[in-house]
Amino acid sequence: MFACIYSGKLSDVSLRDFAYSFSPRVEETAGDTVVIDVRGCELLFGSAYELANEIVNRAAKPRAVGGLGGKINVAIAANPDAAIYAARYFKGVTFISPGEELTCLGELPIALLCPISIAQPQKTKGETPHKSTSSPGFWTLDEKSWEDTLETFRLWGIRTFADFAALPRAALSERLGQDGLRLQLLASGKSERQLELVQPAPDFGQSIELDYAIAELEPLSFTFARLLNQLCASLNSYGLATNELCIEMKLETGISHERKLSLPYPLRDHKVFLKLLLLDVEMHPPPAAVTSISIACEPVKPRVLQHGLFIPLTPEPEKLELTLARIMKLVGHENVGSPELVDTHRPAAFHIHRFALKNTFERKNKKTKIPQSAIPNPQCSLAFRIFRPPLRATVEAPQGCPTWISAWAGNQSVYGKIVRAAGPWRTTGNWWRANVWARDEWDVAVETLTANRKTGPPLPVLYRTFRELDGGGWFVEGMYD
Amino acid sequence: MTYVELHARSAFSFLEGASVPEELVAACVNLELPAMALLDRDGVYGSPRFHLAAKKNGIKAHIGAEVTVIRPQLKSLKTKRDGPETAPTLDVMSLPLLVRNRTGYQNLCRLITLMKLRVPKHAKPGECSVTPEELAGHAEGLICLTGGEDGPLVSRMLYGQVIRDESRLDEGEKVGIAEWLLAVFGKENVYAELQRHSQRDQEARNQAIVELARKCGLPLLATNGVSYASPLQREVADVFTCIRNHVHLENAGRLLARNSEKYVKPAKNMEQLFADLPEAIANTVELSSRLEFTLADLGYEFPRYPVPAGETMSSFLRQRTEEGGRDRYTGRNGFPTYESARSQLERELILIEKLKLEGYFLIVWDIVQFCKSQGILIQGRGSAANSAVCFALGITAVDPIGMELLFERFLSEERGEWPDIDLDLPSGEQRERAIQYVYTRYGRLGAAMTANVITYRGRSAAREVGKVLGFDEETLARLSGLVHTWEWKDPKDSTERQFRDAGLDLHNSRIKKFFQLYQLVQDLPRHLGQHSGGMVICQGQLDSVVPLEPAAMPGRVVVQWDKEDCADLGLIKVDLLGLGMMAVLEDSITLIRNVSHEEVDLAHLPADDSMVYAALQKADTIGMFQVESRAQMSCLPRLRPQKFYDLVVQVAIIRPGPIVGNMVHPYLKRRQGRAAVSYPHPSLEPVLKRTLGVPLFQEQLLKMAMICAGFSGGEAEELRRAFGFKRSEVRMKEVEVKLRRGMENNGITGKAQEQIVQSITSFALYGFPESHAASFALIAYASAYLKCHYLAAFTAAILNNQPMGFYQPFTIIKDAQRHGLKVRCVDITVSDWLCTIEKEDDQAVKGAAEEDKRSLILRLGLKYVKGLTEQSGKAIVCERAKRPFLSIDDLRNRVPELRKDELRKLAAVGALNYIDQMPRLPTLTNQLVDIGVARGRNGVHRRDALWQVDRVTRATGPLYRELHEKDNNSPLPRMTLPERVDADFRGTGLTIGAHPVAHHRQELKKLGAAPANEISGMPDGTNVRVAGWVIVRQRPGTAKGFVFLTLEDETGVVNVIIKPQLFDRNRLVLANHPFLLIEGTLQNQDNVVSVKARSVKPLSFKIAAAPSHDFH
Repeated sequence: MFACIYSGKLSDVSLRDFAYSFSPRVEETAGDTVVIDVRGCELLFGSAYELANEIVNRAAKPRAVGGLGGKINVAIAANPDAAIYAARYFKGVTFISPGEELTCLGELPIALLCPISIAQPQKTKGETPHKSTSSPGFWTLDEKSWEDTLETFRLWGIRTFADFAALPRAALSERLGQDGLRLQLLASGKSERQLELVQPAPDFGQSIELDYAIAELEPLSFTFARLLNQLCASLNSYGLATNELCIEMKLETGISHERKLSLPYPLRDHKVFLKLLLLDVEMHPPPAAVTSISIACEPVKPRVLQHGLFIPLTPEPEKLELTLARIMKLVGHENVGSPELVDTHRPAAFHIHRFALKNTFERKNKKTKIPQSAIPNPQCSLAFRIFRPPLRATVEAPQGCPTWISAWAGNQSVYGKIVRAAGPWRTTGNWWRANVWARDEWDVAVETLTANRKTGPPLPVLYRTFRELDGGGWFVEGMYD
Repeated sequence: MTYVELHARSAFSFLEGASVPEELVAACVNLELPAMALLDRDGVYGSPRFHLAAKKNGIKAHIGAEVTVIRPQLKSLKTKRDGPETAPTLDVMSLPLLVRNRTGYQNLCRLITLMKLRVPKHAKPGECSVTPEELAGHAEGLICLTGGEDGPLVSRMLYGQVIRDESRLDEGEKVGIAEWLLAVFGKENVYAELQRHSQRDQEARNQAIVELARKCGLPLLATNGVSYASPLQREVADVFTCIRNHVHLENAGRLLARNSEKYVKPAKNMEQLFADLPEAIANTVELSSRLEFTLADLGYEFPRYPVPAGETMSSFLRQRTEEGGRDRYTGRNGFPTYESARSQLERELILIEKLKLEGYFLIVWDIVQFCKSQGILIQGRGSAANSAVCFALGITAVDPIGMELLFERFLSEERGEWPDIDLDLPSGEQRERAIQYVYTRYGRLGAAMTANVITYRGRSAAREVGKVLGFDEETLARLSGLVHTWEWKDPKDSTERQFRDAGLDLHNSRIKKFFQLYQLVQDLPRHLGQHSGGMVICQGQLDSVVPLEPAAMPGRVVVQWDKEDCADLGLIKVDLLGLGMMAVLEDSITLIRNVSHEEVDLAHLPADDSMVYAALQKADTIGMFQVESRAQMSCLPRLRPQKFYDLVVQVAIIRPGPIVGNMVHPYLKRRQGRAAVSYPHPSLEPVLKRTLGVPLFQEQLLKMAMICAGFSGGEAEELRRAFGFKRSEVRMKEVEVKLRRGMENNGITGKAQEQIVQSITSFALYGFPESHAASFALIAYASAYLKCHYLAAFTAAILNNQPMGFYQPFTIIKDAQRHGLKVRCVDITVSDWLCTIEKEDDQAVKGAAEEDKRSLILRLGLKYVKGLTEQSGKAIVCERAKRPFLSIDDLRNRVPELRKDELRKLAAVGALNYIDQMPRLPTLTNQLVDIGVARGRNGVHRRDALWQVDRVTRATGPLYRELHEKDNNSPLPRMTLPERVDADFRGTGLTIGAHPVAHHRQELKKLGAAPANEISGMPDGTNVRVAGWVIVRQRPGTAKGFVFLTLEDETGVVNVIIKPQLFDRNRLVLANHPFLLIEGTLQNQDNVVSVKARSVKPLSFKIAAAPSHDFH
């Protein structure tokens, strides 16, 4: 016999944990429905009917004492599906004697027969479904097929479970096939299946309450090492890895210091995790002593890489990640990666792309055509030396055209009379956003005042200057070699 | 020195320009530029508007186009085809061509026509282009510029940069292109174009072009490659770029413009920009002076009609008019004699000859003759009905002499505009035959449909702009949902309120930008469509007047100008309009002929049929042309038409003109004798006598102006136009002054003058021409006659021509049933694809002719089974004609086109109930069908059929294919009555059984709701409750926010009036709920019954209903 518990409107209840208090053989059919195999529970709870009453009574108790704090429906039947339908659609305790299923369920509207609702058990975070290989498992019907079937029922005038159960099996099979027969078994309460038992979800989180607050990195590293070791062992046992570690440190001051380590590919090496974590904590130390630590991760499938004879070896990903972390510590994370030009008319616009190993196979097949790529990027035949950052300049431009310039920064200086100027070369963009930009560029030939006695009068030097049109002033962007 | 912009694009370059031609001209006026050249992409779409705007503002409008040309394979051009895939397309280039003289214009039009007609309408960019040889053959009279970024030189340089990383073009290549252009256009006619948009790389290319020009002796020409009138419109240009490339603004990158410099710049700025090359500026003025062509010199000639040897078009037209006149003006049936009509005919013929319009009249006559010879109903309407010549030629059916219609409304020497003849044809295949005849008769290059420029408006604009800004689907739906579609706009509905109601904050910068862009793109051209019926005919030379394009519909060609543009440039057009009711009339006549073997001649219907007028007076007009709307039905019992002219008035009176001008109630009161007939001035009595002193028609307005103010016919028509749709304040003032002066000269002053001016000015905008009303009234009378005398045929024809008219098929059928017509359901053993007529089974009914008509039964066609394709439906009919279907299995095997869902739909609506289960002989088909029907009724029911269909449509392996089911009886229960109604509505959108409301009559009785037929007998002011199915919802713009509902029950219809406040309180219920219970006060005035609602409640009937016909 099977008992189905349906929590109905009770929200935020862990029905599964509640069910475990009666039997270890539990199927979590849906978020609000569980089924228990009650065979063998007689010695503990008496008859199945008594068990059902016990479940209801215990559920009514407050949550603090192991109850659910409200009313639930419980149904006992010879097969799980009949129990599920009865629990979901009849209030209180329902006991269906073997052979009486149709008598009990027959008047239910046919739309309630939908097998979808019992075919999608809600997974908790980090939990993987564990299907018994010997079990036929849930038989599912996709949404469209169910809608089609329902439309057929409507056309046939089938309104209740009993109407459907009464149809001749052979004729039904000719019209709805095996799915129809399975549905008919469900409607007549005669379906046979084994429970999809759930096991407790694996915990991929570790935490520790410290006896005393730690304010230094070295003792903290021992604690980190212990936690990460356990975490990786747990991942290892399930054949999983992670690409994100979430660390939460409770501080003496009562606040939490949270860090998140995102990895470009899944890893489960606790040594690498420890080094990365320590580098990160060095870069972002907690503002006060730590009183407790918890580390959690999102389990994912580990990275599988197929090497090839003729494919050049890439660096070990763990080593590369550690090296990058060390560099980031020195120069700041925003300055590590490969620069990529941004597709815009805005001069010298780029962004830093984080280093990542690409899958060779993907790289080969990735040919995307974007319309922008058809636009030529005109290049200047002169070499251009860019000043980063550009030099702020003072420019005299009596009629819009620059005639005199002076600019200093560090060891760079531009000063003198502008003997020739070409421009303005105007670019404007992002007009649909708040950060509108607009600037005029001028190519200027500046005659420096210091003459070289050997070579004669000074040769003009070519610079590129620009003026921010929103009042940002003049700058020297670089010089032409 | 001054400057002329000789390279400008308008929004008629479709997504490549952001200003309409008028804006470009306005910019020229503001900046004091003396001329401008419009060069749209592969067309002269915007040139008429550009020309007219320029003419109005004293600007010289040069015409041209950017023509896509296949790049020539010159020996000196070493085309590298092994470049990277990302290089720009090398095969085509865009060549800016300016028109120098009329020959040039004709060449340009032919060139574009050649290019366009070669490929289908939606050809990809680059597919549509001219070959270098074609270009060379049409180069005379054209001036070529070397263009901007997509021109022959620069596009080549850009390609060179990409493939070879060099900024300069190989010397030989440059010279090769230049020499080719010089060879094609001649030395004087090629200009090296320079554009300066403040771009560094562009300047590098300019230097190369200057170098080339010096070498080849090409004159330099400065242009700004204008794409919009003002810098702000660059944003619209960027949005269009995104729409064209299917990208968002955020990721459009370098597809967007680098800056906003492509606007119309003043001469001073251009001179500064080209200070180093002053000759490039000077050459613009010099070139402008060489461009002598404007659209005023179009070279359009009135079409010629081929006449027999020895005849001129005049003599031929005279003969045809005389023949027709003698035939029609017989002096019988109220028509005048030919002798009395002769003077009017002669007057018209003289004017036609003077205006050289003989060819036009003969062409229209020829189309009419063709239609008549092919048995296609055709009737002229509109102002053509004012012409006795049109009547004599058989173009129109209204006698303008008998009805004293004003010829000047149609044609006037002074007006300088050409006549507009609208021909009504049965919509659908018959109309297409007439159109194809015109193409065949005048050649593919001799006739074309006028275009219809589709512009960005409402939802489309909101959606596309929102998409470009990167809004998600939900926000897009909300934004496009904001666009108001109700005809009546609540004054409280400000934009801010609308946005706020939709949960969008106008202070948000993105939403604000959306709103700005949405407003900027409003009314900008989006693409070219095809006008519903306007055709321009030009005897084989149309492609030299305007470029032609293929239409989306196969076999159709359209001109690049819309109807208004054609009219503005003096192109004569004929409108071949599809009218659903014409198709109904034609189909009815065919059905009557086939079933009753009677010939109904619409031209000779009894003029004063009592049944027709009785029906009209009772407003029993569902399905009748023009008089079936709710407003018409509420007016009919007051007007009580008794003769044909009353019907003319009836057609014209429920129009915005009389309603806005407050003419309806005065006329009705006078007609009912409740008010005395009076005239604004005694001299107007002859004009207004027929309409009891109330002006109702445009012709009366013209005659009033002619009598009171001494206007000539042409001046009066000019007055109408001044106050018409294209009204301008200045012109209206001028005409009004003239009108008042004329009246004062005739001694009409004071109150009378004010009254006349008031009626003329308020009426001109919306007035309905009497000739048009008369043409419509003829069709209305014919439809009423057929409905009253041949209900079965008329109803079948209406059902076969849906969608049309005011009511859904369900209402048409219920109305016909209330009039005694028997209707039978869809049955695949007898139904055709269309609805047909059958004779009553009971042969004893046959007797007198009238009884025979009544014994006819309407059989619904397979067309009414929702989801059944025409192909499947016709395959069923075709296969059944060979031999009857023996079973559903047999049907399935013999009609493999039938899909499972189609078979189920047929079964669900009962169409398979009568499939014979027994084999039978083909020769006894009819008898056996009857037997089959009888057995079907007793045996097979819809669920039996469904049970069988579900078996035969399930795929089986070869082993079981021949295995038959032992037990044919299904275990399923029969459908109950509500189930059958539900299945009918779901499957056909109608039911031939009891009205859905009838099933709930007991409940409604308990609620105190009175049936529709009891309401009409109740006195005015009674408190009533009515209930029914909402068949029509209306919120007309002229009704100040009032909503009008029409409820239907099994006994008839009830009109309900909803006040704006009540509507606001019950918006959702009133807009969406199919069944309503309404309580209110009965208004019963002059037998016009309606309920003024006080409260509204939805009724939760669990019966499916077809959706209402909503006008909002």
